[in-house]
Amino acid sequence: MFWKRQIPIAIVALIGTITLFGWFTDQPTIKSFVDDDATQWYDILASFAIFLGALNLLKLQMQKIIKQKSGWQYSIFAILGFLIAFTAGFLMRGAYTVDIKSAGETPQAVAQVLADETGKTVQESEIILGLIEAENSPMSLEKVHWRGKSVNDVANKLANSGAEVEIKPEDWGAHLTKKDSFFNWMFFKIFTPLSATMFALLAFLVASAAYRAFRIRNFEATLLLVSGIIIMLGRVPIGSKISSWFVLYILVLLVTIMVNTWKNSRILTFGTLGIGLLLVTIAGVSMGWPIDKPGFAYLPTLQDWIYLVPNIAGARAIMIGIGLGVFATSIRYIFGIERSYIGE
Amino acid sequence: MKKLADLVIKLGNVDRRWIFIIIAIVVMYPLFKPLGLPIRPTESSQEVYAAIEALPEGSKVLLSCEYGPSTKPEIHPMAVGVLRHLFENGHQVYVTCLWPDGQFMAREALEQVAENEYNRTYGEDYVLLGFRPGNEAVIKGIVSDIRKMYTIDSRGIPIDDIPMMNGVKNILDLDFIFSASAGYPGTVEWVQLAADPTGIPMSTGVTSIQVNEVMPYVDAGQIKGILAGMPGAAEYEALLGKTGIATSGMDAQSIAHIVIVLFIIFGNIAFYLERQRSKKTF
Repeated sequence: MFWKRQIPIAIVALIGTITLFGWFTDQPTIKSFVDDDATQWYDILASFAIFLGALNLLKLQMQKIIKQKSGWQYSIFAILGFLIAFTAGFLMRGAYTVDIKSAGETPQAVAQVLADETGKTVQESEIILGLIEAENSPMSLEKVHWRGKSVNDVANKLANSGAEVEIKPEDWGAHLTKKDSFFNWMFFKIFTPLSATMFALLAFLVASAAYRAFRIRNFEATLLLVSGIIIMLGRVPIGSKISSWFVLYILVLLVTIMVNTWKNSRILTFGTLGIGLLLVTIAGVSMGWPIDKPGFAYLPTLQDWIYLVPNIAGARAIMIGIGLGVFATSIRYIFGIERSYIGE
Repeated sequence: MKKLADLVIKLGNVDRRWIFIIIAIVVMYPLFKPLGLPIRPTESSQEVYAAIEALPEGSKVLLSCEYGPSTKPEIHPMAVGVLRHLFENGHQVYVTCLWPDGQFMAREALEQVAENEYNRTYGEDYVLLGFRPGNEAVIKGIVSDIRKMYTIDSRGIPIDDIPMMNGVKNILDLDFIFSASAGYPGTVEWVQLAADPTGIPMSTGVTSIQVNEVMPYVDAGQIKGILAGMPGAAEYEALLGKTGIATSGMDAQSIAHIVIVLFIIFGNIAFYLERQRSKKTF
C-alpha cells in the first residue's frame, strides 16, 4: 500500500511544488530542472504514451471484432489501416534513390538509359552526365522508388551501361516525409482526402442544422441568431457589398414587427413603419447613401465590434474561470486531495 | 394565402438531402466561375503584415505548423502567404511542428514557396526541424534549449551540421514567431509559454472557430494581429498582392454564407407559421 499510495502521492506533491515554484525562482538547479529535465521527462513519457495509445486502440478494436459488437466491421478497417501505416512507418522504408557517381567509359549508353528512366532527352541526359564528370559530384535521380527490387533494376541497368552508381536508401525517420516515398504517398493520397472529406461534410451539416434548429424561440436565441447572421455576412467579401441603408430598412421592419406583436395596434404598427422608413430615407438622401455609413449598420464594422467587445469580454471571463479552475486543481494535486491518478 | 402558408410549412420540413444538394451547387459554382468579390483587409490582418514588414532584413523567424489536412484550406494559404512574405524580405525561417501532420503540411508549403518560387537553400535560408511529441513541453524545450529538443532535423541531418543553426541556442536567438494553428497545442500555448515570457513578438493565423479564444491575446497586444480563418488568409494574399487559393475560396464561402442565412430566415418563417397554426388549433 505504501508503494502504491503514499509514494506516488509524495512524488506528485514534490514535483508539482517544484514545477509551480520554478516560475518564481532564479535558483539555477530548480530552473534547470523545470525548464530542461522535467520537459525532457515529459517528452519521453509522451513518446511512450503514443505506443500505449496505439496498443490500446488495437486492443479495443480487437475486442469489438471478437465480441461482434455493433459496427464491428468498421474495426476491421481501423486495424488494417493501423497495420498498413505501422508497416509503412517502421518496417518498410519505401524511399530509395539512385546516385550516379560517374558516367564511366560509355557516356552515350548511360545517357540513353538515363533518358529512358527520367523522361528527359538523350541530349539533356548527356549534359547532366557531363556536369557530373566536370564537377566530380554524384547526382541523385529524382525518382523515388518504394521497393528495393525496383531500385535495383534501375541501378543494374545503369551499371550495365557502364555507369558507376550507388543505391541510396533514405534515412529512417526522414523516409516519412521524403517526397514520393511510400508513407508520404499514403499521407497525401489516402489520409489527406479522407480527412478533408470528413471536415468538408461539416458545411452540409451546418447548413442543415441552421435550417432546422436556429429558431427564434426566446430573447437569448434571437440574440444568438442575429449575431450569427451578422458574423456570417460581415466576415465574407459579399458582406461589404451590403449597404448599411439596406440593413437600416431591415431594422425598421423588425422594429415594426416587434411593435405589432407587443401592442397589436394597426395605427401604431403603420405609424412606426412609416416614420422609420421616412427617417432612414431622409438620412440617406442627406448623407448621399454611402455604403458604409452609418458604421453601426455596416455589417463588416458590426462584426468587428462583436468580435472586439462582447466576444472578448466573454472569452476573458471564460479564460479567467479556466485559470482559477486549473490553479485549484493543481493545488488539490499538490496537497494530495485529488488522487484519481492512483485510482481512488 | 393559406396555400402559401402550407407550402412554406411544407418546405420548412423539407428533406435535408435537398439542402445538401443546394449547398453543393452554391459552393461549387463560384469555384468554377469566380465572382471576383473584393477582399477588404481587416485591421488585424494588416497588423500581421506590418509586424512581419517591420522585421529587419535577415531576421530569424520561427514558423510553427499546427494543422492537418482537415484544416488545410483555412491555414495552409496563411502558411504559404507568410513564407512568401518572409522570403521576399530576406529572412531565415525555422519551421517546427507540434502536430504530426503539420510536418507534411510544412514540407508542402516549403517545397512550393522556398524551393519552387524563391529558390532558397535548405539549411541556409530555411530549415524544417519537424515534429516532436510533447505539446507544451516541446515549446518549453525550444524556449530553454533547442538542441535538447531537436538533435536532428526532419531530414535526419544533425542540428550542428545545419549552417543556419549556428548561434541559435534557444528562442531568445530568434526574432519573431508565427503560429499557423488549428487547435491544441497551438497559438495559445505559444503565447503563454514562449512569446509572453520571453518578449519575442508573435503573430498567428488560426481557423475561424478559434478566433474567439485567441482574440483576448490580440486585444491585449500579446499577439501582433491575427489572420482569422479563410477570410484572414485571403486578406493576407490581398496585402501581399498575390492571389491564391484563399481568395478564390472566399467567393464560395460568401455565397454559402448567404444561402445559409436565407435558410435560417426561411426556416424561421416556417417555424412562426407553424406555431401560429398550432396556437389556433388549441
